[in-house]
Amino acid sequence: MFDFSVVTNWVHGWLMSLMPEGLAILVECILIGLGVLVLYAVIAMMMIFMERKVCGAFQCRLGPNRVGPWGVFQLFADVIKMLIKEVIAIRHSDRFLYNLAPYVVILGSVLAFACIPFNKGVEVLDFNVGVFFFMAASSIGIVGILLAGWSSNNKYSLIGAMRSGAQMISYELSVGLSILTIVVLTDTMQFSEIVERQADGWFIFKGHIPALIAFIIYLIAGNAEVNRGPFDLPEAESELTAGYHTEYSGMHFGLFYVAEFVNLFIVSSIAATVFLGGWMPLHVPGWDGFNQVMDYIPGFIWFFAKAFFVVWLLMWIKWTFPRLRIDQILHLEWKILVPIGLANLLLMTVCVVFGWHF
Amino acid sequence: MENKKHSYIGGIAHGLKTLCTGLKVTFIEFFTKKVTEEYPDNRDTLVLADRFRGTLDMPLDEAGQSKCIACGLCENACPNGTLHVESEMVTDEETGKKKKRLVRYQYDLGSCMFCQLCVNVCPTKAIRFTTQFEHAVFDRSKLVKTLNLPEGKQAPAHKN
Amino acid sequence: MDIYEKITALVPGVRLEEGATPTLYVEPASLHEAAVALRDHAELQFDFLRSLTGMDWGEEGLGVVYHLESTRLGHQLVMRTATADREHPELPTVCDVWKAAELNEREVYDYYGVIFINHPDMRRLYLRDDWVGYPLRKDFDESEELNPIRMTNEESSDFTSVYVKDDQGHTVETKQVLFEDDEYVVNVGPQHPATHGVLRFRVSLDGEVIRKLHVHCGYIHRGIEKMCESLTYPQTLALTDRLDYLGAMQNRHALCMCIEQAMGVELPERVQYIRTIMDELQRIDSHLLFFSTFCMDLGALTAFFYGFRDREMILDIFEETTGGRLILNYNTIGGVQADIHPDFVHKVKKFIAYMRPKLREYHEVFTGNVIAQERMKGVGVLSREDAISFGATGGTGRASGWACDVRKRHPYAMYGKVEFKEIVFEEGDCFARYMVRMKEIEESMNIIEQLIDNIPAGDYQVKMKPVIRVPEGRYYAAVEGSRGEFGAYIESRGDKYPYRLKFRSTGLPLISCLDTITRGGKIADLIAIGGTLDYVVPDIDR
Repeated sequence: MFDFSVVTNWVHGWLMSLMPEGLAILVECILIGLGVLVLYAVIAMMMIFMERKVCGAFQCRLGPNRVGPWGVFQLFADVIKMLIKEVIAIRHSDRFLYNLAPYVVILGSVLAFACIPFNKGVEVLDFNVGVFFFMAASSIGIVGILLAGWSSNNKYSLIGAMRSGAQMISYELSVGLSILTIVVLTDTMQFSEIVERQADGWFIFKGHIPALIAFIIYLIAGNAEVNRGPFDLPEAESELTAGYHTEYSGMHFGLFYVAEFVNLFIVSSIAATVFLGGWMPLHVPGWDGFNQVMDYIPGFIWFFAKAFFVVWLLMWIKWTFPRLRIDQILHLEWKILVPIGLANLLLMTVCVVFGWHF
Repeated sequence: MENKKHSYIGGIAHGLKTLCTGLKVTFIEFFTKKVTEEYPDNRDTLVLADRFRGTLDMPLDEAGQSKCIACGLCENACPNGTLHVESEMVTDEETGKKKKRLVRYQYDLGSCMFCQLCVNVCPTKAIRFTTQFEHAVFDRSKLVKTLNLPEGKQAPAHKN
Repeated sequence: MDIYEKITALVPGVRLEEGATPTLYVEPASLHEAAVALRDHAELQFDFLRSLTGMDWGEEGLGVVYHLESTRLGHQLVMRTATADREHPELPTVCDVWKAAELNEREVYDYYGVIFINHPDMRRLYLRDDWVGYPLRKDFDESEELNPIRMTNEESSDFTSVYVKDDQGHTVETKQVLFEDDEYVVNVGPQHPATHGVLRFRVSLDGEVIRKLHVHCGYIHRGIEKMCESLTYPQTLALTDRLDYLGAMQNRHALCMCIEQAMGVELPERVQYIRTIMDELQRIDSHLLFFSTFCMDLGALTAFFYGFRDREMILDIFEETTGGRLILNYNTIGGVQADIHPDFVHKVKKFIAYMRPKLREYHEVFTGNVIAQERMKGVGVLSREDAISFGATGGTGRASGWACDVRKRHPYAMYGKVEFKEIVFEEGDCFARYMVRMKEIEESMNIIEQLIDNIPAGDYQVKMKPVIRVPEGRYYAAVEGSRGEFGAYIESRGDKYPYRLKFRSTGLPLISCLDTITRGGKIADLIAIGGTLDYVVPDIDR
């Protein structure tokens, strides 16, 4: 298995030989920050393109096909369009909060993004309560959405923001419960540790029934967390035109848009990390030859394959179902997902206590 | 309509089942042949119905003459004032009879609503609808066409 | 005439006028009394106001023509009233008798300036509030100075006028508040993804819950009825396709039928067959579009594409025979524009064979879906009484348990000779309205299958005179449009132009019941209800 920490250690050593330690760490921080942002942007573009193509395929059409082969340059065209469009200032809006909101959303998104272990040794933020940190970071986005809805001085935006507040805070609970179920199984909250423990089998196999239930709950709640169909009420195109970002244009809208797609990726990659083994190859205990072959495939390929598979699953769900109503969404969370999630947590605890897992 | 009441667990199971049915359909459609018409690329193979009303056209013979007798029935039949027929009186050299002759047959594509009344009423079948449908121009005045002059016509972008 | 004798005995100030259509003339003073008697008398029971038409009879003054029908006893009646006062025309309202009159009387006020006493909301319906004059009056001044193209925004007033009679018999105008200052009023439309065109609602909200709703029409008002008064009969046909563009065949069928009945034209059977098949194809087309857009309203975008993909096949069939896809221009007075394309029969059969499994797919992907069911069931319940009173015909009425299909009530074309089931549901909620339309697709396919193989040979067009004149009189003909009864009312003075041509809009009654059935629902329900009512805005605004 290729360990990326070899590279990072070499860079660290090289920088240390050139400059004092404080400066070296500063330079490393900048480099890592840049790396995260570049990866963030690249993944956002890939996600947008994938969404269009996958959505097209589900709807019996080709998706973008005019700009470049298979329409691959479409997304560059879109990025350029977004960048050069005017950011319109709305009269009677709360100018400061209005401009701040998209950055709060993107901030939460980038922080959560940094928690993801992409490969062995590629973990930007990795410490013993990583799961908690991730949950906390990803919920910053709600503040941004509420701010956007409030400061736009638009009734649609406000309704969208209120919906989003109610929905995201509720579904945070289910996301937390389903991840906790796995934490019970692993007794660690560090993402890198969680991945390491799956060397002899992914948790979705090791934890069998409770892990599977937790996985499904996580998919549903995670989908709701990122405001995507069938839980896209805060935007609810046919009801609120665009919900909380109705009044945003240009790059400010672009930030919301990008954050939404990367959040989808984050949710999927956490699902991949926690349930499907992250960058860990598929190992079957006992089949040593098979396991060795699997090890030749680099970890980040495993990771991205799994993450994009989950993304595809979520897109499949989005492009199949109609949207729920606000009371139904809360009903689903508080009367169905939370009780099942709690019972499932208990079940997992029992399994762990009696050693009924693999 | 069935209105069965499900128990809590039964309701969830039933709901999941219906959701999976939906997922199955979209999954199958994911792999079926796509129906997108790649329009500007498929011009050569594009099939339009012969009766499609794209634009009004006045067929001209080699000498540039049409069958129009400038009777003006089409102009009267048009609900929008889209057509404008200019004629002059000429004396036929052989018979010595006075006869109307078409000078200008002006057609405003921009205000035409393709109701076909002009074609219906034409006694000599001098006008007809063709399937030419690519009408976009940069200037509205270009939509006003003189149909009895070949140079006034825009060359068709493609033929069917 | 039995009915006329009864009503003359019941109410004073009523007389019967003979003519092409026997008409009951009612003095304005006894109009309200007559309306109540007509609705409530056990042997009359005229509970359905089919159509309400404003009129300018010149010398005789301004007035209204009412077309009534009894849903229980099945008989019909034409009633009219007129006031000679052109300066301050006043008539009593009947909107407390038939709710359908509410928006229709506002239309009459808008077109003719007739004030309806006791009407709860006497505002213009289509035109701007600052419009000068009443355009359908024969003495209307059309000069541009009076009504220039206004470059200012139209302010939406929060007040409306109600005119009542005081003790001395004078008309007094009182102002009524539509929306209080502290209400959270949200504009839905005119540019909104779910209004299917340029319709506008002002919705007063309490959180997510709708407290009341006002409909604003007229954003796509083209004055088609006014235009028709200066067009020859064949020319008026060209405009019908542009009313309800998803019922182009049926709209034109209604107008052609009205003119043909007035002129006494006998149609060859081939024409009747073709028209029936085309009407049903159009209905399938419309219902498929309904399915698609409704799915989109509820957020199921993929089902939207499936519906549109399959609708394309019908459009191709239309294109081959008629030369149009949306604006079809097919029916003509005394026939159809062109004979059916040689491939027509084959393609229609192929389409039906293709469509049946696709319908199953729709049910799998959307109808059965638990989310869709939750969104539709029990939402926006329209009671049978309200459906009749509002005159909400079509799928909406049938979902509320009112068998209102014109094809069954007054069979025309081939409908008397084919077997088909009238789909009626009892619930009156969104799901019933949705299911009516889905089942009607199947019924339409059954009708087509019965006819498609037996189209008799013959002419597709009766030879008509070059100039078509309709004999003097009043004529009304209705067809079952894609979304309800579509009627054409012609008042002719024997010219080649109609003196007055009114289209009974299928959509106007549908939006008039919106306020009643959305109250207490959520914003998302408004979208679902609007989707299942299936209105088409150009048909409402005309």
